[in-house]
Amino acid sequence: MRGKRRILILDDEPIVCERLKPALEKSGFEVETYTDSQKVIDRLTEEKFDVLVTDLKMQGPDGIDVLRFAREHAPATKVIIITGFATVETAREAMRSGAADFIPKPFKITQLRDLIVSLTGGRTD
Amino acid sequence: MGSIWRRVTGKRRPEEAVEAVRRRIEGLRDLVERNNEVLELIAKAGEMLGGEYVFDRNTLATLAQELEAATRAVVFDLNAITGDRYPELVDALKRADASVRATLESRLFVPEADVVMPLEDVGEELVDTVGEKMARLGSLKKLEGCRVPDGFVVTAYATRIFLERAGVAPVIERWRSGSTAEREAGLEALSGELRARLLAAELPKELSRAVRKALEDLRRKGGDGAVAVRSSAIGEDGELSYAGQYDTRLGVAGGEVLEAYREVVASLFSTRVMRYRQSAGLDAAQGLMAVGCLAMVAARASGVVYTLDPADPLRRVLQIAAARGLGRAVVEGSHAVDRFEVSREAPHGVLFRALAEKDEIWAVGAAGRVERGAIPAAQRSLPSVSDEELGSLAGTALRIERFMKAAQDIEWAIDGKGRLFVVQSRPLRLAAAAPEAGRDLAGMERLYPVLMKGRGVVACRGVGSGPVHVVTGTEEPDAVPPGVVLVARTSSPRLAAAVAQSAAVITDIGTSTSHLAAIAREFRVPAIVDAGIATQALRDAGEVTVDAEENVVYAGCVRELLDEQLLRRATFSDTPEFRLLRRMLRKIAPLNLKNPRGPNFFAQNCATYHDIIRFAHEKAMEELVEGHRLVPRPGDRSFRRLELPVPLDLLVIDLGGGVRPAEGPGPLEPGRIASGPLQAIIEGLRTEGVWATGPADMDLDGFMSSLTRSEALTDQMGTRPDLNVAIVAADYLNLSLRLGYHFNIVESFLSESRNDNYIYFRFTGGVTEMTRRARRATLLRRILAEHDFIVEGSGDLVIGRVKKIPFEGMVERLRMIGRLIGYTRQLDILLRDDRSVERFVRSFLEGKYDVVSGRDEEDERRRRGTR
Repeated sequence: MRGKRRILILDDEPIVCERLKPALEKSGFEVETYTDSQKVIDRLTEEKFDVLVTDLKMQGPDGIDVLRFAREHAPATKVIIITGFATVETAREAMRSGAADFIPKPFKITQLRDLIVSLTGGRTD
Repeated sequence: MGSIWRRVTGKRRPEEAVEAVRRRIEGLRDLVERNNEVLELIAKAGEMLGGEYVFDRNTLATLAQELEAATRAVVFDLNAITGDRYPELVDALKRADASVRATLESRLFVPEADVVMPLEDVGEELVDTVGEKMARLGSLKKLEGCRVPDGFVVTAYATRIFLERAGVAPVIERWRSGSTAEREAGLEALSGELRARLLAAELPKELSRAVRKALEDLRRKGGDGAVAVRSSAIGEDGELSYAGQYDTRLGVAGGEVLEAYREVVASLFSTRVMRYRQSAGLDAAQGLMAVGCLAMVAARASGVVYTLDPADPLRRVLQIAAARGLGRAVVEGSHAVDRFEVSREAPHGVLFRALAEKDEIWAVGAAGRVERGAIPAAQRSLPSVSDEELGSLAGTALRIERFMKAAQDIEWAIDGKGRLFVVQSRPLRLAAAAPEAGRDLAGMERLYPVLMKGRGVVACRGVGSGPVHVVTGTEEPDAVPPGVVLVARTSSPRLAAAVAQSAAVITDIGTSTSHLAAIAREFRVPAIVDAGIATQALRDAGEVTVDAEENVVYAGCVRELLDEQLLRRATFSDTPEFRLLRRMLRKIAPLNLKNPRGPNFFAQNCATYHDIIRFAHEKAMEELVEGHRLVPRPGDRSFRRLELPVPLDLLVIDLGGGVRPAEGPGPLEPGRIASGPLQAIIEGLRTEGVWATGPADMDLDGFMSSLTRSEALTDQMGTRPDLNVAIVAADYLNLSLRLGYHFNIVESFLSESRNDNYIYFRFTGGVTEMTRRARRATLLRRILAEHDFIVEGSGDLVIGRVKKIPFEGMVERLRMIGRLIGYTRQLDILLRDDRSVERFVRSFLEGKYDVVSGRDEEDERRRRGTR
């Protein structure tokens, strides 16, 4: 029996991390949040995560860079893209690069939670 | 009112008239659509504040753009429909745009207001005028069980005038034009110069006059006229982060209030505050405040209470600091004070006490002045407050916490008579990281019995706990005690007042767009609607906890969830994004123009986007009222008279797809109506018993049917005909009925996609005198509200709207309106007294329609009795 599902969240807007962490923890996930994409790249090589939730536009490596890194080095990690600049083109690009799903901001916490639950096949094993 | 409509229909050929109708209806439909779009954006913004959504600053900028565009379209449509009759609305739109943009760019925007306002008249909605501190204090003054000193507020508008007259702006501009190094070097000089100007400048006459008058009013209410003069900052990051930065003057005698006001205002530009703004990335010299003047409490003891331990909130204790006399020692932290920890559970026992050696006391002396005195050695270690007082202080503090929905930092004072006063309350900043150990909130279902799960829809997120209170249909809402989990059969708006005071709300029936759900969101009361079985399942549940996030109801009080919510709220609700959204919403969402009959219902009075679209919608509807004076000519095939088995002449104009084609000319039978909304209304009209035709009331009926029979087609007298017209399309209805002197519009869009669905119901007039008309309006309001309509209007005007209802629910409500039209047709005459309103409402809701024909039991009895 495994422990809690592990979620990694990356958004350069601190408010997004501040809101998602307690809400997803309440739903039974283990959550780490970062505003710096390089740190997330480091974490992906260090440990295993079930889901990565990442913003698209950021300083340094952007969301697509992080997504591609995750696909290559942590293929078991499902990636969800969240962005405030949602166009059909960015969505297509994200899905082509291997994102599991794409959610435009603003989104409901429950919407993201339900998506994570369906991607991981439940909250805990 | 001159109408293009009338001109068009009067002069042109009938086909063109119908074409004109079509164009106008299309314009109206676009307006309604855009109007709904704006309402949706406003609702979404409101929901975002409720904590459902994750968003950032960019989201807010996008939201503002979308609102601006959609509102502009509404204004454009109205002017297109009416031939540019409302140019003032374009100006109002520009003003609304400017104020929202100013908010987004964090510029201060001060609405015009009175220069002085009594404290009891202010509340959260006036935060831009009176500042956060006084706005909160004003709402607490209205809160039961919370005593706040009398007082008044010198508004930000008054301060702005004062700053202008004192010539502050040019001095700041000169400073701003310097290089970064020059500005830094010149900051102290700037502060000195601004202060000197503010202390020397003449106060605006209207300001000094209003303050003197307010002081007189205060003296009349009792007390010696001495006041505390307190800053109440406007905008920026609010007073929370500025705590203690601005001046406060205690014990100011009446004659010195104006000087104290200057001093407090001058603290806007103290070097310390300007450096603080700079360090927060704000414009150093931009600031504004309102100033509160509160009657001094002759305090025997005073201090501060925190509703949680900010360093370790999960300890679940109240922390109280107290000193004898005025709270100066406590707030300034300058002298030893008594410290207590008190349980959050009634009766709030004292868990910890540390009594200090208190050698001096600040107290209100002669003429209200604050004086320092020595405490005799024998009394120095006595507690400044009794355990009983600590208990009542805890009770009041928790009541405020419940009302504010967040942990609080409260300044209090107890006077010589033992009365407890609250002089300030603000959100308590808690340690951001709560202890994680052992926290498994997803595991609550294993620890507490689940009474209900996944039933219905969450209308307002949050967690609330309390004893279940089931409301039956007839119970008076006053009987609902505060702090309960309110469980009701329907989301009747009668419960609005009770909801505001409840810990949580659950209804069996209802939608998240109902008035009740909106009230729940406004007061941040966790709410689940449409739960089906709640009144049954929870009837004997006793204490429960409602988790309106995961949509679960637990037996008992689930501390873990309640704690988590209190912490989470405190840590996110004062983030810059939430503050910005709150400020934006204040420029967007308030509705000032509620009553189309009100004296302020003019385009130039529209202050918010909500005002603008409401005004535009109402005027567009009025335009249609005018429009129905069109006269069909003999042989005009566009108007078809509908054959109904009830005495109602209805002409149908089909815009396309609303009527099935027939072989021959002949009359239009109800079976050929393809318009969904009209079909449903006709079904309602034909409900048995609704269209009363009792033999006992032949005269009355005859009288009424002579009014309801429109004589349009046979009118030989040249008088203006009254027409009942239904303009239809497959999914659309615009029905206008002139029954007697009543005027009734029903507009509806009905489709499988619930988000597009709406019903607009508007009723005015009546053949009888005003009181009976008003009774009829009351009856309509009651019945509409029971069916989830949001109801407005005054006197004999009734406006009801409902939207986003699924197809079946829409059909049900449209049928209800059909029945209602028949049922109320002649009610004015029967509405003899206010009691009869209740009786007729009840009969209608119970499906007993034949009371109107005079055969209801009460009348029957009366008749038998007289025989």
